[in-house]
Order: sequence, then structure tokens, then C-alpha cells
Amino acid sequence: MSLETVRPTLPAAPGPSWARRNLFNTWYNGLLTTVLGGLLFAGIWLGARAVAGFDITILEVNLRLFMVGEFPRDQLWRPWLSGGFLAAAIGLAAGLIQAGSRERAARSGLPFTPTTPRDVVRRLAPVIGLVVVLLLLTRTITPTLLTVVVAIVGIVFNVSGRRLHSRWGWVGVGALVVAGYLSLAAFGGVGWEDWGGLHLNVFLTLAGLLFAFPVGILLALGRRSALPVIRALSVTFIEVVRGVPLIAVLLFGAFAIGFLLPEEVRPSQVTRMLIAITAFEAAYVAEVIRGGLQAVPHGQTEAAQSLGLPGRKTMALVVMPQALRASIPPMVGQFISLYKDTTLVAILGIGELLETSFVVNSQPDFLGKGLFVVTLAFAGLIFWVGSYTMSREARRLERRLGVGER
Amino acid sequence: MTDNGTYTDATKAKGEPIIEVIGVDKFFDGFQALKDINLRVGLQEVVVVIGPSGSGKSTLIRCINRLEKHDRGRVVVDGIELSDDVKRVQEVRRETGMVFQQFNLFPHLTVIENITLAPRQVRHVPKVEAEEMAMQLLRRVGIPEQANKYPGQLSGGQQQRVAIARSLAMKPKVMMFDEPTSALDPEMIKEVLDAMVELARGGMTMIVVTHEMGFARAVADRIVFMDAGQIVEVGTPEHFFTNPIEDRTKLFLSQIL
Repeated sequence: MSLETVRPTLPAAPGPSWARRNLFNTWYNGLLTTVLGGLLFAGIWLGARAVAGFDITILEVNLRLFMVGEFPRDQLWRPWLSGGFLAAAIGLAAGLIQAGSRERAARSGLPFTPTTPRDVVRRLAPVIGLVVVLLLLTRTITPTLLTVVVAIVGIVFNVSGRRLHSRWGWVGVGALVVAGYLSLAAFGGVGWEDWGGLHLNVFLTLAGLLFAFPVGILLALGRRSALPVIRALSVTFIEVVRGVPLIAVLLFGAFAIGFLLPEEVRPSQVTRMLIAITAFEAAYVAEVIRGGLQAVPHGQTEAAQSLGLPGRKTMALVVMPQALRASIPPMVGQFISLYKDTTLVAILGIGELLETSFVVNSQPDFLGKGLFVVTLAFAGLIFWVGSYTMSREARRLERRLGVGER
Repeated sequence: MTDNGTYTDATKAKGEPIIEVIGVDKFFDGFQALKDINLRVGLQEVVVVIGPSGSGKSTLIRCINRLEKHDRGRVVVDGIELSDDVKRVQEVRRETGMVFQQFNLFPHLTVIENITLAPRQVRHVPKVEAEEMAMQLLRRVGIPEQANKYPGQLSGGQQQRVAIARSLAMKPKVMMFDEPTSALDPEMIKEVLDAMVELARGGMTMIVVTHEMGFARAVADRIVFMDAGQIVEVGTPEHFFTNPIEDRTKLFLSQIL
């Protein structure tokens, strides 16, 4: 027997799956697959509608409500403009991350596989498919054209982001996000208290996490503080909030804040929800970061101390960066939960996506037609696409960071 | 050499005393880890601390830069007495480098960032200058080509040499080593010991906790033998390896040699 014949049988290598090899082998094939998939889905839908008598007119008529709520019709250019800014921000950020890891890899000799357009299409396939479905529900060509423009803006910024090496790029990302907000609310626009639909869910998720993040870091540090008062306050806040259902925190925010504050300074219902969500998320973020802090070996602190680094710099430059890196995967999980949990603001009659999928059934045209299945399935599909895409990205990130290996 | 082979005389020093440990006790939850430790280390002296595991060797040197707090007695480093005063503790830590068994490099920073972090943050050395110094140190420990890699990409021996360079970047007056080769594969021990020998020959004051008897014999000015939290015997390598006096020393040496 020669040596070659006794090679152990290895489990099938995690190579490209059938779909990846045949349907997503190039970016245009991927795009084609996705678009055709969306059309196929729409075809099945239309077929089912013909057979079972489903009527998707309710979706076509109310698409604006589903997407942006009661946003005034003559102001609809604002969400589109905002979408353009956000696409630019996301494209730029992704490009900067690419440029950063390419540069690091070039210096250190670590392996680096650039993200190809094909990867992007494959990873965003559910989102692209959803966009196709949504565009099929529109009755004019304008939204399709605008979507293409937004996508092109994102791609242009992504390509330029990949060529930037400067930290100013991230300032640009921040500026684009602010511009995205201002283009909605400023200069005679519509403030967030009047937003609705999917737009509101996304806003509450992003803003909730953005505000909860710094508070969560402070709470996590407070929990480890040497000062008993700070420690007790942090622990109390975290444990009380975590011991209560989110819906209770939301109700508390809605009624207690309204009750405690005089009318002149009373924030709007949506603002109160945002405050409640921030408080709730901060407690969870704090626990996630605490887990991350515990994952950093004590030797790191000792090494930094033995070099004479003061406590604050040891935390900021040595321990926290490692803790945050270890916190990323559970943080994304938290983010996905929050995205779905923002539907709970519906109990206060705020017109987010799920609430909208109920109320449209009370419109005179659709009342008593039993179209809940259609509208709920539609809302469910939208949530699923977002959650699924994020959780897949989280798993990818986890592999890349090697969390769970070290 | 001033040491004449007398044992338990921990106060003999080669040069001006830079570290003085006087009557130090240390307890961990009722367990006494150090019992009445007296040790004086002179400038440019190399002291090797040996002894069975759990004898308090690591605890002793960790008390010198206050990674552990001593419970009784005095620890004075370069004229600064350690106390709860954070400023003093930091002053002492700036002057004492420490190399750990597990390297403890910062995994999120490159080699050169590991080395320049403390000089830039604590001593406020400008970036370019700090990097020049780091490259010099890396050449000294023989791995300048690894400057831009991450610790995870290096072998254990290379990581430990980076750790030595990182400590040296703070220009410490004393270097302490806590079993620096115990976590290394055998073939990598020599490269680390070579770097340490070179350092000793260069006149660095060193306290080394190790089981490398070859190193102790070649480089040590004095060997300190510890057992059960006490200093049992102190002497030159010659004295130690030819005619140790205490029974516990003899027993220990017979077990490891």
C-alpha cells in the first residue's frame, strides 16, 4: 500500500455551495438570480392571489404608509434624498473598512480577501429581492429610477471609500448620516414625532442603539467601579431594567414621563419611546460589554500597568478595544432583537410598520375583507429580510474576528 | 564581586542599592505567601530567584512593582517607597520593566505599536522618535522584520522578545522577569535567554525568576533560593552549585539538576 492511499478521509470542505457556484458565480449573475428570484416570488404571489382570491391592492395603495407612514405626499422627496445620503454613508463606511483592512494586511502580511461585487450581491440578496418586490408594488416608474440612483450613489461612495486612507473619511460618514437626518427634519421638514412605517422602526433601532451604546459603556464601567455609590447605582439600574419587560419600560416612558413633566417641556410620544428604548438597551449593552471586559485576560491589565500606563489609559487603550471587539457578535444579536422589538411601540398607537399592517385593514375599501394575512405576511417579510441579513453578517464578522477561537 | 558565599545574607549589594525589600509579609486570604523577606539589589546586579512552585518567587517580584500589595514591611525602589499613593506606584512602574510568563502582548496592536504605546502615552515621546527607538530595540532582540506584524502571527520566542523590547522602551532602571521561558517550546528558549544575557552584559539591573539553571550559572551575580514564602539561602552561583549549605536547597537542587 502506498502512502498516498492511507490519507484520512476529510469531511467535505466548506467550499462554495451549489447556489454559490451556479447562481452567484459573478456579480451580474448574482444580481440576475436575485432579480429573477424576486420576479418569481411576485409571480407565485400573483398566482396565489388569482387562485385564493388574495388581493394585494391593499399593499399597492398603502405602500407609502408601510414605508414612511403619514409622510406628506409633497414632501416625499425628503425620504428619497435621505435614503441617498444614507446609501452614501453606508457605501463609504464599507469602503473605508475595506481600505483599512487591506492596508493592515499589506503591512502585517495577514491574508486579505477583498470583497468583490459578487460577494456584495450574494450577501445582500434578500434585501435586493425585497426591493424588487417593493418596486413591483409601485405604480409609476419614478421609484424604480430613484432606487437605481440611490444604489449608484452608494456604489460611487463605496468605490471612493476604498481609495481613501484618511481618518477624515469617517468624519464624512458622520456628516452624511447627519445630512440624512436633516434632509428629513430640517428646513420645513417632518420631525421624527410624525414619522411612521418601516422608516420609524429603522430610526428607533439605529437611534436607540446609537444613544444606548455610550450609556452602556458607562454603566459597564460603573459596575466595575471602585466607588461603591457608582457601582450600586449602575447595578441597580441594570438589574431593574433587565428584570422588566420592554413593554413595561415603554409604558412607563409613555405615561410616567408624560405625567411627571409639565406640558410645555413634555416630549412627543416618539421621543418618549426613544428615551425608554435607550434606557432599556443601555442596560443590555452594558451587560454585553461587561462580558467583553471579562473576556480580556487580566494579564493585559497587568502588562499595561507594569509599563506605567495610568488606569484610564489602560482601560481606553488596552482593555476596552479588546472588550469591544469581543462584544461585536452579541451586540449584533441585540441589534436584531431591538429591530423587531420596535414594533412594540404600536401599543401606543404609533404608526410603525406592524401597526400600519393592522390599521390599513380598517380602510373603507378593505374593511372586513380579511386581508390581515396579506398585510401581516408583508410586514413579516420585511422584518425577516432585515433580521436575516444582519444575523448572517454577524456570523461572518464572528468568523473574521476569530471570536470563539482564541 | 563582593559576595563571599555567605548564605542568608540578602543585604550584600554589588553597586548602590536600587531595590530594597525590608521585612515584607504578604497574605492571600489567610495564606502567607511571603514571610519576612529581606532583599537588597544593587545597581547593575543580576539576581536570579529560584525555588519550587508556590514558594513565593513571583509574588516577591510582583510586590516590587506593586502588581501585588505587600501587607507588612517596606519596599523601596530607587528611593521611592511604595504605598497606596498612586503617583508613587506609577513612578516606580515607569522605572521597572516586567516580562511575564505569558508574554501579555497587546493582541490588537502591531509589534511596533506594542512597543511605542507606553513611551508615547506615558513619556510623551513623539511618534517618529518612539518608532525609531522601537526599531532599535527590535534590532537588539533580533526581529526588526516583524515590526508591523500582530503578536498572534509570531512564535512564542519572538513574542517574548517583543515583550522584552516593549519593557525596555520605557528605559527602565530595573528589569524583572517572571519565568520568561516557562511557556516556551524548548527550541525557542535559547533565543529569549540570549536576549536576556545580552541585556545583563550591557549592565542592566535584573531580577529573574526562572528554572533555567544554565542561565543562572552563567549570568547571575547572586542566586536567591526561596521555599514556602521565605528566602532560604543566598549566594553566588559557584557557592550554590558546588556547596549549598541548607538542606532544603540541597534537596531542591538534587531534584532539578
